[in-house]
Formats: sequence, structure tokens, C-alpha cells
Amino acid sequence: MSFHDFLQVIVFGLIEGSVIAVGAVGLTLSYGVTRFINFAYGEFLTYGAYLTLFLAGGLFGLSLPLPAAAVVAIAVVGGLGVAVSRTFFEPITDRGALPLLITSIGVSFVLRNLLQGWVGVDARQLPIPLLRRQEYFGLVELTDLELGVVVAGVATMAAIHLLLQHTMLGKRMRATSGNRSLAEVAGIDTTNVVRQTWFVSAAAGALSGVLYAVLFSPFRPGVGFEYLIVVFAATLLGGIGRPYGAMLGAFAIGLAMNFGSTYLSANYTRAYAFLILVAVLLVKPEGIRGGEF
Amino acid sequence: MALLTGWAAFLVGFATIAAIYGLLTLGLNVHYGYTGLLNFGHVAFFAAGAYAAAIVTMPPPATVTNASYVVWFNLPMPWGFPVSLAAAALAGGALALLIGLTSVRLGTHYLAIATFALAGVFGDVLVNEAWLTNGSFGMNGVPKPGRAALGADVWQLAYLAFALASLAAVYLLVERVMNAPFGRLLKGIRESEAAAEMLGKNATVAKLKSFVIGGMIAGFAGGVYAHYLGSVVTAQFLPAVTFTVYAAMLLGGAASNTGAVVGAFTVVAFRESTRFITTAYDWVQATLPEPLTGVLPALVGPLPNNPSFIPSMRLVAVGLLFVLVIRYRPEGLLGNPAEVDALGDEGGGE
Repeated sequence: MSFHDFLQVIVFGLIEGSVIAVGAVGLTLSYGVTRFINFAYGEFLTYGAYLTLFLAGGLFGLSLPLPAAAVVAIAVVGGLGVAVSRTFFEPITDRGALPLLITSIGVSFVLRNLLQGWVGVDARQLPIPLLRRQEYFGLVELTDLELGVVVAGVATMAAIHLLLQHTMLGKRMRATSGNRSLAEVAGIDTTNVVRQTWFVSAAAGALSGVLYAVLFSPFRPGVGFEYLIVVFAATLLGGIGRPYGAMLGAFAIGLAMNFGSTYLSANYTRAYAFLILVAVLLVKPEGIRGGEF
Repeated sequence: MALLTGWAAFLVGFATIAAIYGLLTLGLNVHYGYTGLLNFGHVAFFAAGAYAAAIVTMPPPATVTNASYVVWFNLPMPWGFPVSLAAAALAGGALALLIGLTSVRLGTHYLAIATFALAGVFGDVLVNEAWLTNGSFGMNGVPKPGRAALGADVWQLAYLAFALASLAAVYLLVERVMNAPFGRLLKGIRESEAAAEMLGKNATVAKLKSFVIGGMIAGFAGGVYAHYLGSVVTAQFLPAVTFTVYAAMLLGGAASNTGAVVGAFTVVAFRESTRFITTAYDWVQATLPEPLTGVLPALVGPLPNNPSFIPSMRLVAVGLLFVLVIRYRPEGLLGNPAEVDALGDEGGGE
């Protein structure tokens, strides 16, 4: 393997890391304010990809251009996240983390199989053209789409950073995450903050799903649930509930998966993500990045 | 001699599968119900047992179509059967020990994710290591003990009797262990790990033991399953199995062994009965009087016409079962509310 190939693997790792990062940040944000891991999160990825496909493919009687379809799909899935939370999770919020977590398994089964019952298990593909890779700096090669995925990923990270640090909603989210009762006493409508966080979280999931579909089409209704393991790995690696940790974790996982598949065996892509995760958990059970967000 | 036809054949097959799920549910109940360990990778122990049973009893690959495995022991049947089941239980226990060593100390959320993920990785191993598992073709020559001597029908009944007897034996064993001091220690850890530690108990070791016991039961169930079906294929061991077992446990009532068995029979009965939806539809359609024959097609017409529709709706129902039981009856049908409350109180993963 040459140095050139080595660089190329790093680049692929960073591209996939961007996809994972968007999903992991969304998941970790919702954990921050709800305090349970949402196993239904993968379905937001799936619904994002499929809705984009339907909107662009004329299923609802209109064929939007792909980027517009993606934006609409992301917003709709954000709304779906709020609806799911209000229907399934809010009524049992005060029952502790375990009932919420188990309920989220049920919700993931419902969402995934409703979609599968409707569209079947055949693989689908977004209408994207095959592109030729262009050389950048004489070192690495990328298609415009791959570059676009990285840009979208980085832009999302930046947007989440601005949201958390420089908006009122971000401050309320951080306060609710830090101590919900205290935030309530300070006059924050935490129920509303939790709903808004669900919107952001589900929308980020949908975006991650769209990016995944752009990068690795074709996909099936199980796509989000299968990729959930990878998103979990990144989230835990960064320490659950910590957005900046999740970003770091995502790039680490993306790199590990691509290095593993290239230099060891392509059959065990998910396993590399997990070996890293388990190794880190054994040494440092709270993840690679401590501290509040 | 067509002893088992129609309904009888269906009921015998259903009861055998339900007994196997009963075993799986008893195993998971040791983890979750009694110890509070959120194991989301139960299917891996089941698969480990099934594959272990297959590997020790498979005939040489030359005699099986599409075979590429290189490890087989071809144990002859009369006494090979108990050895195979012991190997299955050991394989399940060994995998549980391996996974437990890395993750049993983790908090609820981390444990759930680690077991879920490690089970996924184990599934990848089963698909990819064809020298051991014959890959996604599966092992399709697992002997059915006594089948040749008894004939198909009698064997079905005999195997059902064996599966039910196994279920009863494991049930009694788990009841006994859970009422012994060790069982009380597990429940104590479930209520408060700190309190158990303060009394000088080693919570990590106790949790690991619980994990291995439940894993052995699931592995044993895998062995019973492999010799019942006569084939072991990776597609049988998906995460949906884990969550079907959870549905059975939650429905029956966590921390209740009777509940585990009742839940398993109920969930499997529901799953198997949905096979008859199309038959029932045809029957209703044929019995309806003339003016009403248009009603059903009009109702069903808008539904998507793809072969995965009914299987998908079955899993939607399993998902709804999770949601409804947790929301409206957390103790399930037969659980003890006080014990189940203790499960919900556990904090987050930090």
C-alpha cells in the first residue's frame, strides 16, 4: 500500500465520519435532555432517506430536485420526531430510563415495519448520477458528491455549535440537560425545550440518513437500524450526551472502519467500530471526552 | 399413516417452537428480570448453541450439498444427542462469559448497546467464517435424533415431549436457583448494587454468573432448536429474535418464570397464527352473502400488495406490544409490581 492509498483511506474515513457525526450529534442531543438512549433513532435515518426518495421520485405527485426533496424530508422527519416523542415518550417520562428505552425498541419496530410493509424489502436508490473522482492537491481523489457530504457534515456541526452556544434555545437545552428541575425552577418551559430538541435530533438523523443514501446507495428499510450500531459506537465513544464528544467519536469510528476494511478484512466493517468502542469502555467507561456540553 | 395433518401438525409444531422460546425467555428473565441486566444480544447465545450443536453432529461435508465447512464431528446419534446439547449450553455460556467480561460492569445504557452491538458482530462472524459455519448457506444436515426409527409423525410428538420436558426441567432449576441465596443476591443487586457491595458481596462476579447462566439456557435452547429443524442458517438469528423474546418476557411479567413461559406461548401463538390471515380472509369471503362480497376487497384494496406486508405488520404488533405493556401494565400478566418497579428505577448510563 502506497502513501497515496493511505491518504485516500483517511479521506474515506473522514467522509464516512461526517455521516456518522451528523447522526451521533442528533442522538446525543436527545439523550442530553431525555436521559435515555433512543433505539428508534435509526428509523429517523431510514425515513429521511426514503422520504427524500419519494419526494424526488414523484411518489406524492411532485418531483422536487434532490436537494429540495432532502430539505423537505428533513423538516418532515423533525416533525415526526416531535410526534413520536409526544405520543410514546412524554406520557412515561417520569418512569425512569428503562421503560423509556424499552418503549423506544417498540417504536423502532413499529416505524420500521410500517415502512417495510408499505414499500417492501427491495433495495432503492436515490436518483444520483455516477460521478468521476477529481484529484485535489495532487494527493486525494473525491467525487463532488463526496465533497458535498463532507461540507454538509461540517456545516451541520458548525450549525449545532452555534445553536448550543449562541442561541437562547441552545442555552435552554444546555440548562435542561444539566439539571431539568433547576431549569424548570428558573422559568424554562422544559417540556417545550425537550420537544424542540426532538425536532433538531430527528432532523439531524434524517440528514444523516440522506447523506448515507447519497454515499452508499442502494438501501432497504432496515438501513437505519443496521447503521444504528455505528452511530451508537460514535455516541458512546464520545460519552453519551456530549455533542462535541460525539463529533470526535464519529471521526474516530469512520477512520477505524475504513482502515479496518482496507487493511484487515472488508467483512468486518462494523466489528472494527465495536472493538474500538469496547476497548475504550474498558479503560474509560465515560468515553473519550469528559465534561458537560 | 397420516397421523399429523392440518391442525394437529400445526399445533405440534407451534408447541415445540413455543417451548424453545420458553427456554429463551427463562434465560433472558435471569438476566433482566432477576438481575436487571439489559441484555439486547440474547440471540447471539441462541445462535452459539445452535451452531455448536450443528458442528458436533454434522456429517462430513462431502455428503451434504453446498457444504464448505471444515470442522465437523459427526457424533453418532443415540448418545451424540446429549453431548450435542451439552456443547450447545457450553457454547452459549462461553459466549456469555466473553461478552459479559467486557460489558457486565457497564451501566444500563452502555450494557444494552454493548450487548446489542457484540451480538451484531457475532452475527457477522457467523456469516463470514464459512469454514466453521458454512456461511449464509447454513448447516443443513443436522441430524434429527430418533427420526429414522420413529417415523416422521411419532418423532414430531416425541420431540415435542422432549422439548416440553426440557422446558419443565429448566423452569424448576431456575425457580430453585432464584429462591436460593444466590437468587436473593441477584435481586439485591437489581434493587441496589451499592447496598449489595456494602454487605461484602461482589456484584460484578454475581452479575457475570447470572449472565453465564442465562447464556447457557439460551445456548441449550439453540441446541434443541437445531435438532428440531435439522438446519441452522444465519437468517434465523436476527435481532428480531432478541426482541421477540423481550416481548414474551415483558408480556408474561419480568421476574416471573411462570410469566416467561406463558408470555412465550402467547407471543409465539400470535406470531404463528398470523399465517392464517389469508386463509381466514378467503373463508370469510366465501361465506359472505352475495351483496357483501365487494366489502372486503374494497377494504383491503388500498393496502400495499407486497409479500412482506403481513410479516411486517406482525412485527408492528410486536412493537406495539412493547409500548402498551410498558405503558399500561409494566408488571405484565403475571409479574409482581413491586419487583418490576425496582427495575424501572435504575438511573442512566453515567
